[in-house]
Amino acid sequence: MIENIKNAIIRFKRSPAFTGFALFGFALILNIIIRGPAVFFSAQSMGTLFSKNAPIILVTMAQAVLLITGTLDISIGIQLALVNVVVIMLPQELGVSIPVAWLIGILVSLAISAVGGFLVAVLRIPSLLATFALTFVVMGINVLIMNVPQGSVPKAYYSTYDSLLFGFLPVAALMILGVALIWAVVKRTKFGKHIYAVGADPKKAFAAGINPTGTIMKAFLFKGFITGIAGIALTLMIASGNPLQVESYGLKSLAACIIGGLGFGGWGSMASGVYGVGFLVLIQNAVYYFFNFLQGTIVGFQITSYWQNFISDLIIMLGLLMTTVTARGQREALKQGISRQIKRGDKHAKES
Amino acid sequence: MISIKGVNKSFGTVVALKDARLEVKEGEIMALLGSNGSGKSTMIKILSGLYNPNSGSVEIDGKKVKIKSCVDAHNEGIATAFQDLSLVPTMTVIDNLVLGIEPLGKFGLLNRVKAVRMAKDILDRLGVVCDMDAYVQTLPMSTQSMIEVAKAILLKPKVLLLDEVTASLHHDEIQLLFNLVRELKAQGIAILFVTHRMGEVFELSDRVTIMRSGITVIDEDTSKLSMDDIVYYMTGKRPDAGKAEINLEMKEERELILDVKNLKQSKVRDISLQAYKGEIIGIAGLQGQGQPTFIRTVLGLMKPEDGSIIYKGKQTHYKSPENGIKNGMGFISGDRNKESIFQHRSIEENIYAGKAATQNIFKYVTVKEMKQFSLDAINAYKIVAGNVKDPATSLSGGNQQKLVVSRWIALAPDLLLLDDPTKGVDVHSRREIQQILRASALKGMTVIISSSENEELIEISDRIYVFYEGEISGVLKKEDMSMEKLVAAQMGMTSEGNGV
Ligand SMILES: Nc1ncnc2c1ncn2[C@@H]1O[C@H](COP(=O)(O)OP(=O)(O)OP(=O)(O)O)[C@@H](O)[C@H]1O
Ligand SMILES: [Mg+2]
Repeated sequence: MIENIKNAIIRFKRSPAFTGFALFGFALILNIIIRGPAVFFSAQSMGTLFSKNAPIILVTMAQAVLLITGTLDISIGIQLALVNVVVIMLPQELGVSIPVAWLIGILVSLAISAVGGFLVAVLRIPSLLATFALTFVVMGINVLIMNVPQGSVPKAYYSTYDSLLFGFLPVAALMILGVALIWAVVKRTKFGKHIYAVGADPKKAFAAGINPTGTIMKAFLFKGFITGIAGIALTLMIASGNPLQVESYGLKSLAACIIGGLGFGGWGSMASGVYGVGFLVLIQNAVYYFFNFLQGTIVGFQITSYWQNFISDLIIMLGLLMTTVTARGQREALKQGISRQIKRGDKHAKES
Repeated sequence: MISIKGVNKSFGTVVALKDARLEVKEGEIMALLGSNGSGKSTMIKILSGLYNPNSGSVEIDGKKVKIKSCVDAHNEGIATAFQDLSLVPTMTVIDNLVLGIEPLGKFGLLNRVKAVRMAKDILDRLGVVCDMDAYVQTLPMSTQSMIEVAKAILLKPKVLLLDEVTASLHHDEIQLLFNLVRELKAQGIAILFVTHRMGEVFELSDRVTIMRSGITVIDEDTSKLSMDDIVYYMTGKRPDAGKAEINLEMKEERELILDVKNLKQSKVRDISLQAYKGEIIGIAGLQGQGQPTFIRTVLGLMKPEDGSIIYKGKQTHYKSPENGIKNGMGFISGDRNKESIFQHRSIEENIYAGKAATQNIFKYVTVKEMKQFSLDAINAYKIVAGNVKDPATSLSGGNQQKLVVSRWIALAPDLLLLDDPTKGVDVHSRREIQQILRASALKGMTVIISSSENEELIEISDRIYVFYEGEISGVLKKEDMSMEKLVAAQMGMTSEGNGV
């Protein structure tokens, strides 16, 4: 039993998600220290944390799937805004009911992801280039649908989003959990294995009878589905529409994935992305409350939000540096593997 | 069963196949032979859907079929173990084995239990022992080759194509593989295998097809051909009668170049070995007896746990292979993908790399110098290359290996360490490499060569150290070398003449 746990820990330490997990743990402890465990883990504080950050967390989960498949989508942020304007404008201008509008929002997100997938998988344009160009296309569409920020969401909807189920479970967290569960299932299908093969080496995947084009296309569609949900979460969070917002989520989600230890193609898991984004979010949170605390205790202490951002970005940069440190464990494992390979038969003989 | 006719395939200006043909019948084992770069792998890749030929037609059971992709090939019952491996290094053994043929359980989810059962069965039959959840990149080359074969067999093919799968396998593993291949033959499967080891051809195959420069020269029953015939069809020349006789007279006072005393490092438990100037030392042994560790420890890739390495009269404390190379050591590995070839760099850069490693890193390299150096090497070692600016991976497997060998020999190191250097090199070129090694040795280079092929060691070595479980189970001198003694020592039966 203890042996099993020990092995599980060793395996986890070597797993790609460990880097992100270590950083996430660090950020979590920082938060607990600054705010005290009772306050930090209070239902209300958790609720705010999730409702304010569910969109970026969901987007990062979507980005992680693409990175595993060996591609990425930098336009994912502006696609959230697209879903946002669609689900705001449909009820407002055409009187469509809200659930139907949401459904259409997800469909629109799938469609735009299909376009991205087509550019990358079929036309084979490098994904960074293709989706960067797509950013401007989507921006154009957004402004066509909604020229200036406007609109609202009925209170019943957004207050549900902000609320706590059974008094402790944030609804926003449930959305994340839902996507995580869907992924847990998808991961165990053929598709879930094929994205790893295609991400690592499309030629070898092809030799194994996998269709890389189709697999990349499916990955984009899966990402589109999650993006749709994230767009709805964003709409509920801000309770209005804005055609040009959260464009930075594209880069942010990418950074989160890399902090979390995802490699480009075939290495890492969605959990890596979640830890990475968790780190980003918690650091910002900690810095915010830390300065609040200073302002409360030191009389006359004033600081602008620029300083807060500066400090939190500094810590995030340190986190990126730390990634290289915590990643050493994995590199060690890899090196061991390679040296075993160099030593050739040794492992083979040992196990037999 | 399967036949392919009139195949043409060219890569840019390089013509790989010219009106080539091939036929394998049900329950037949066909050996596909040819020099390096003669188009064997290209033929196999066309049959498995990886390349589309410029022309040519494939028939299975008398019916014309179109193979446009690997999926088509699978559907027609063709499975392949590729020379350059189709395993995904960052995926686990089990995921790789069932990749593309994942057994599904409820709700379209993967059925791991079933997958493990399938995998275990085939791996057991091949005698592979490994952790199913290990990443493939962490496994030894020979295990990877076996997994590649296992993956092909799991497809339950009607036609099985094996492209130089035995190249990194040792004697005992090859026997297990051959037993399985014979079983498959009895089940009526058509088997095509490519090898450069002539012993295997006569041991296993029913028929041979020989290719030369992309043309099918002959297909014939194996029993009707002699070794010399095969070399003739491969090269177009009758081999010289007998082996090149080499003057083996040793000078009395020889300089001791390398003196290893009681070396210990993981798998190597207690090895003492002396190599004199101008001597060719063979290292023999079954797989996993510590040979690679030994060579890499001498080079400085690993630190000795105990014992001493005295090189040119001085005790070494190398921190990395760089130290060894700066002091006149050279190293050639059989695992060309991992250790030797810079896959995306051009052929000429690859040849030049060894020279660059011995120079000041800020030395300016002129384009002309690099080109001349590489052209000389290509001519000297008869590397079949299209354009020296092409990436190294465009070379055929054996030519990549020749490239690596040429890279080092051209530098004339004092001590050349070779780990299975002729893996995948055709018989003819192998002899050429051996002759080059001998000539270099006569000029004073010391060579330590480890090989999985006993014939080769006997042919080339002055003395053979046999490794068994990290110790020396025998040292054979030129006079008393024989296959029987070598095999006996490999099994751990200490032979006379132990200790020099
Ligand atoms: N992708 C490619 N691009 C350019 N040239 C290629 C490519 N693949 C093969 N060639 C060329 O085609 C010829 C045949 O190569 P092939 O790999 O079929 O040889 P082979 O018979 O398998 O040799 P070996 O025994 O060394 O493996 C070689 O001259 C090689 O350089
Ligand atoms: Mg080949």
